[in-house]
Amino acid sequence: MRRLLTALLIVLVAVVPTPWRATPPSHGQGVDVYINITGGGTKKLNIAIPDFAVVAGTDTAGVGTMLASVTGADLTFSGLFSVVAATGSIPPNNPEALRKSWTDFAAAGAHAGVHGLLALRGPRVEGEMRLYDLTTPEFRLIASKKFDMAADSPRRLAHKIADEIVLQFTGEPGSADTKLAYVTGSRGTKEILIADYDGFGARPVTRNGSLNLMPVWSPDTRSLAFTSYKGGYPDLYRAFPFERRPEQTLAAFNGINSSPAFSPDGRTILMTLSKDGNPEIYALTLATGAFRRLTRHPGIDTDPSWAPTGRDVAFVSDRLGTPHVFVMDADGGNVRQVTFAGFHTQPRWSPRGDTIVYTMRQAAHDLWAINADGSNARRLTGGAGDNQGATWAPDGRHLAFQSNRLGSWQIFTMATDGSDQAPVTRGSGDFTSPSWSPRLP
Amino acid sequence: MSSRCRNGILVSLLISVVVLAGCAKRPAMTAASAPAPSGAAQATAPPATTPPAATTPSTPGGGTTSTTPGTPGTQPPSGGTSTPAARPPVSEFTANPNLKDIYFDFDKYDIRPGDAKILDSNATWLKANNNLVLIEGHCDERGTNEYNLALGERRAKATMNYLVSQGVQAGRITIISYGEERPICTEHNEACWAKNRRAHFLTKAR
Repeated sequence: MRRLLTALLIVLVAVVPTPWRATPPSHGQGVDVYINITGGGTKKLNIAIPDFAVVAGTDTAGVGTMLASVTGADLTFSGLFSVVAATGSIPPNNPEALRKSWTDFAAAGAHAGVHGLLALRGPRVEGEMRLYDLTTPEFRLIASKKFDMAADSPRRLAHKIADEIVLQFTGEPGSADTKLAYVTGSRGTKEILIADYDGFGARPVTRNGSLNLMPVWSPDTRSLAFTSYKGGYPDLYRAFPFERRPEQTLAAFNGINSSPAFSPDGRTILMTLSKDGNPEIYALTLATGAFRRLTRHPGIDTDPSWAPTGRDVAFVSDRLGTPHVFVMDADGGNVRQVTFAGFHTQPRWSPRGDTIVYTMRQAAHDLWAINADGSNARRLTGGAGDNQGATWAPDGRHLAFQSNRLGSWQIFTMATDGSDQAPVTRGSGDFTSPSWSPRLP
Repeated sequence: MSSRCRNGILVSLLISVVVLAGCAKRPAMTAASAPAPSGAAQATAPPATTPPAATTPSTPGGGTTSTTPGTPGTQPPSGGTSTPAARPPVSEFTANPNLKDIYFDFDKYDIRPGDAKILDSNATWLKANNNLVLIEGHCDERGTNEYNLALGERRAKATMNYLVSQGVQAGRITIISYGEERPICTEHNEACWAKNRRAHFLTKAR
């Protein structure tokens, strides 16, 4: 215990530059970076999160307790924090009570404390987090931030607060205020759902009784591209789950219209079409409706995934006999092979650009990661059912995937080193093809 | 990792115990627990900004370009051209006992010699009858969805090409891939997988 605390304090004091510093944080300026989370051997920070104190309105639904609980679960999921929750709150506008609480928490080993304030204002709910450094004698205020949300989605307040806390300590927000899209159903009928990243609030996106497959989020989180047989043939559509807006047809050519992948700027969608004879990868420019063919090979070319720079595209081709992962320039040139000797599909380029996760078929399917240059292939799952269909969290530190290790197909998450594998869905039936959204606006 | 996880829980528990013992008047603390489900969690719409839509095509210089086909969708793009051959509705095709399924090796789409004989027989029937034919390409559950959709397409296409080589008019044939989505056998063994790696035929009178 003492050894751990000492190590943590050393980490806390040091401002560690990381490769992420090159990219400014998406909210706010001048964030102090306390933890080097790109390096190995990360120690967890002990953080105290008492219930949120109600400063306006009447909390009949227990929102103050829920916010502390969900924020704690999000921070635990981040892998960076060890959370101490509480069953009571620290009163507002009472410096003495605050000081007493932090003194107690610090004595118990907490390195940081969150003083949460909750205002219930009719149709809106407002949450404020005040983040304190409990390792300093004066309990320095690290940051405070207010978030405002419609009263029917208070969990998002907690997700936003958790992401902000991760931002304060690492320079990059967490991935809690995000959605997962996935497919449910079995042979013949599969529908697309969306839920919060932790599985709460699931609701349908499609309800057409057909096969709806391979949902993929757009970078602005407003739409999902997917393949549906609702018109009889496998065509490509786009749905707008947060808007009263009809689905849009993206591609309905003879043959397959599948495997959508939005470019990082959201202006282009890569997809697989077989309209010219065999499955090839095409780029659809959304503003013009123009299609451009990227691959030209008599074998199968499919399953594109953009590099975050938008300059390169990973894809699957069976041009050498069995499917392998290849990379090409975004204009289709300069094709180079990334994986060899095996059966490899579903390349998914990491948000930081350095890693490609893919699915390898052996006795079962398992997820592997490889450096984008083809070096250092390493296994992420194994020995527990069949695992496939990886999707990256926007923080680049977590993956969601589908596994049948519990009997039916369920969506799981894990850290990108393969640790902390845990189910997100637990319902009866099958849940497959997850797509993890970017952070919501 | 499980040991790191356990350490984290241990630390939390230790803290809880210490704090519980140390401050009787403070709220009771517990190790972080799973969040309680809320009633109806609703997504909030992100702010509205007009996204580009796949609509009227322009013709950028160079490269192969084509346009979004006009199809019966909920929101057909305006200004698109139709597909070269309009696709007959899938629902109008029905099973035909005169046309036998053929099967494929794992991850293959070439026609095996024994299956070529079946296709010869199917071609004979098709040449003697004027029906339109829909060829479905299917895969077993191994391999992943995206790839299997392409593999099923290749199987249907290889089957179509063989029939055309035997004198069946290409214009009578439509193909569709179901990838691994419509197995006829659902056990997880080779006997079952072999039945699922197939091309299946449906017909429609003209």
